[in-house]
Amino acid sequence: MPAPFRIVFEQRAETPKYLSALVPLISVLAALVAGALFLTATGYSATDTYKNMLDDGFLTYRGITETLGLSTVLICTGIAAAFSFQMNLYNIGGEGQLYLGMIGGAWAGLALGPHLPSFVMIPLVLIIGSFAGAVWIFVPAFVRARLGTSEIVTTLLLTYVASSLLKHFINTPDSFFRAKNVAFPQGRNVADSAALSPIGDTRLYPTFFVVVALALFLYWLVKKTEFGYRIQVIADSPRAAHYAGVSANRTTMSVMLLSGALAGLGGATLIVGPFARLDQGITLLGYGYAGIVVAALARNNFAGIIVSGILFAGLRVGGEKLQISTDTPKHIGVMMQGAILLFALGGEAFRRYKIRAVRMKAVAQ
Amino acid sequence: MSNTSHEVASGPYHSGGAAPSALSAHSVSKRFPGVLANDSVDFDIQPGEVHTLLGENGAGKSTLAAMLCGLYQPDSGYIARNGQRVVLSSPRAGLQHGIAMVHQHFRLVDRFTVAENVILGSRNLSFVLDRRSINERVSEVAESYGLPIDPTATVGDLSVGQRQRVEIVKALYQGAEILLLDEPTAVLVPAEVEKLFENVHAMTQAGKSIVFISHKLGEVVEISDRVTVLRGGKVTGHVSGRGATDTKDLARLMVGRDINLGTQRASHPTGHEVLQIRDVSLNVNGVNVLSNISFNVHEGEMVGIAGVAGNGQKELADTIAGLLSPTSGSISIGGATATDRGPIHARELGLAYVPEDRLGMGLVPSMSILDNLLLTRDRHIVVDRASVRPEATRLIEQFEIKANGPDHLARKLSGGNAQKVLLARELSGGRTATKLLVVCSPTRGLDVGAIETVRRLLDDARSAGQAILLISEDLDEIMSLADRILVLYRGSIAHETPGETAQIATVGAAMAGLTTGVNG
Repeated sequence: MPAPFRIVFEQRAETPKYLSALVPLISVLAALVAGALFLTATGYSATDTYKNMLDDGFLTYRGITETLGLSTVLICTGIAAAFSFQMNLYNIGGEGQLYLGMIGGAWAGLALGPHLPSFVMIPLVLIIGSFAGAVWIFVPAFVRARLGTSEIVTTLLLTYVASSLLKHFINTPDSFFRAKNVAFPQGRNVADSAALSPIGDTRLYPTFFVVVALALFLYWLVKKTEFGYRIQVIADSPRAAHYAGVSANRTTMSVMLLSGALAGLGGATLIVGPFARLDQGITLLGYGYAGIVVAALARNNFAGIIVSGILFAGLRVGGEKLQISTDTPKHIGVMMQGAILLFALGGEAFRRYKIRAVRMKAVAQ
Repeated sequence: MSNTSHEVASGPYHSGGAAPSALSAHSVSKRFPGVLANDSVDFDIQPGEVHTLLGENGAGKSTLAAMLCGLYQPDSGYIARNGQRVVLSSPRAGLQHGIAMVHQHFRLVDRFTVAENVILGSRNLSFVLDRRSINERVSEVAESYGLPIDPTATVGDLSVGQRQRVEIVKALYQGAEILLLDEPTAVLVPAEVEKLFENVHAMTQAGKSIVFISHKLGEVVEISDRVTVLRGGKVTGHVSGRGATDTKDLARLMVGRDINLGTQRASHPTGHEVLQIRDVSLNVNGVNVLSNISFNVHEGEMVGIAGVAGNGQKELADTIAGLLSPTSGSISIGGATATDRGPIHARELGLAYVPEDRLGMGLVPSMSILDNLLLTRDRHIVVDRASVRPEATRLIEQFEIKANGPDHLARKLSGGNAQKVLLARELSGGRTATKLLVVCSPTRGLDVGAIETVRRLLDDARSAGQAILLISEDLDEIMSLADRILVLYRGSIAHETPGETAQIATVGAAMAGLTTGVNG
């Protein structure tokens, strides 16, 4: 008899706990398989490529410290995105808020740095950078809370404005941010008191630990506090919030502003960390957008974002090294990120449904 | 599996010599994760018969109906049509065998006309629609069963009863011989229910078979030729309808014990005024939803607001609860003004509010019972769940809520248990002790057993001296519980009568806008 089986999707009454961990893991594996097919088809050795990426991204001393260093900013933009997503607010302009965080942080480092000691300056750069990120999202937050204007459009479009602003500050001849006596337009280095030293001979900065602690703090904030409670009520049922006298407008504003501030903090970590100046190269790196993917892979779980942030940083670091050590294009790393996201989103179906092959019953007409 | 426990059956089940049943299910079982929804269930229906599937929520009647119309396939057992074994792999396959389901939640496109909705899903349509001939054919089908309907009307403009008629016409137009009506009276007012019963009669006269899915005892006895009672996925009885079986016996088969839904009134004289409403009007987008409403509710008194849905009941409740600001007039609770002060202030004055919409307004579906208890209470900056946990456990026990404990998610509760959680929270007081309880449709969609519990809880609250405003579309409920009945019609109080002496005909007429005045 032809096609004796058919595929049936059965909704699960309950998602087993182990699946929440297993699905992302399998998504990553599936993405690796898809990537391997692509590599093989284009004439590269998949095993060599993966081995190199694994070594350079995670297994060598150099690799893992590079990865953790890069993950600092990705975790920041990841928690920024997740903080708004969990309330069904979609701040996808983390990229722009990140630029503003850099601008704010660089301003503090340049203007105040020469007058203040390091233990004041470092927190100040981080705070002013966060503040700048919050300022950048203020208008989208306000019109969203008051008028219901889609924050997706406003935050995204403001990213282009932020990008132009950043370039303006670097390219304008007499700009405060521009390095003097250098023909090529580039940012001026912040005062020494505003720059942290990396740990040992690595490019890992102590801000990594600050950001990890922050992610864990947010996890606690959402699970245990009244503010987190309100977020959950509004996210799930705005009418229940109204019924209970929980102000959705105020909470919307707070969540959006905090989301912007977290992305801004990501920009500021680049100032106290690896960049130490305004650099228009940031507009090519897409750390802000990557945060969306990091958040999605962790399903907006703040503790999970630490893991997915490190994973994505490793893929990028490993991908970069590939280009240098072999002739494999570094875009394989970016491609892997896309594939992981795709499989992770597809994998959601497995968390919610059981998929079974069912033997077709004989039909006696 | 034996069928020996079955009670009276009108005829042998797998009738050997007689004409085959129009549709039958033979020992069908269906398992869902965690439940055996149907456990070797037998069912059959003859041409021109009304056969009711009676059972509480979760008894398995909807699952059986879904297998009869092709929405689900049985894990074991089989379905037969005219004695021939069939596999209904989809609702479309069901339709090809002349079986159609009218769902409780209508599946109509509001912006389409009646005729457009009726032909939706038909396969033999020309590329360019000939609207005139379609309209004529739809009218023709409708009128031949005494279901007059304007095919050019937009569905969005129709009343609920008319929409249901569109669904039925759609099924008939598609050639249905067997119609499964899922809780068809749940959304209708008394007059519409009567009209529906007439239509059902017209359809059976024309040889159609009607499977009626219901948990309302009274109407079941009235309309059905036979009744199959389900409990916990098993058939507990096949009995005859048309008054041949007592509702008490049906209730016992359905619930497994005796049920009391009798009249309950205030046993003590009522006390001070708790709620005072003076000339309250509410204008929403230029429409007067409430006009010059004035009434009081006293300690230990239950005032019932009757009326057809959409006559301002929801708005009245929301206004009292501080969710809406009246355009004019004043509201006071316990002597203190509550007008336009917001929901938290109203609660501080002793208000408790059970909205009609349990999950989504009264309760947050994705949150636990524990967290839902916190919704209307004071929460510290760091939510102190540990200190509320014992109370949550106690309330679950006291209100007989079927749950795995305080961490059970609200969305995983049955309708009755969700309502009990809501009542538990509102009756147990939050910011202050509850003085005034506003409840909307408290038993809508609940099982008989749960209805009994909810009514008892409301009566207990009244006996404890709380003032209760009961807003319900279920006239029977108001008639048997309220000490005073007010009828709301187009935002005004059209009628007022003491509950003791209320006449259902007079109240029903006022609900339909046929009389005005007080003490009519």
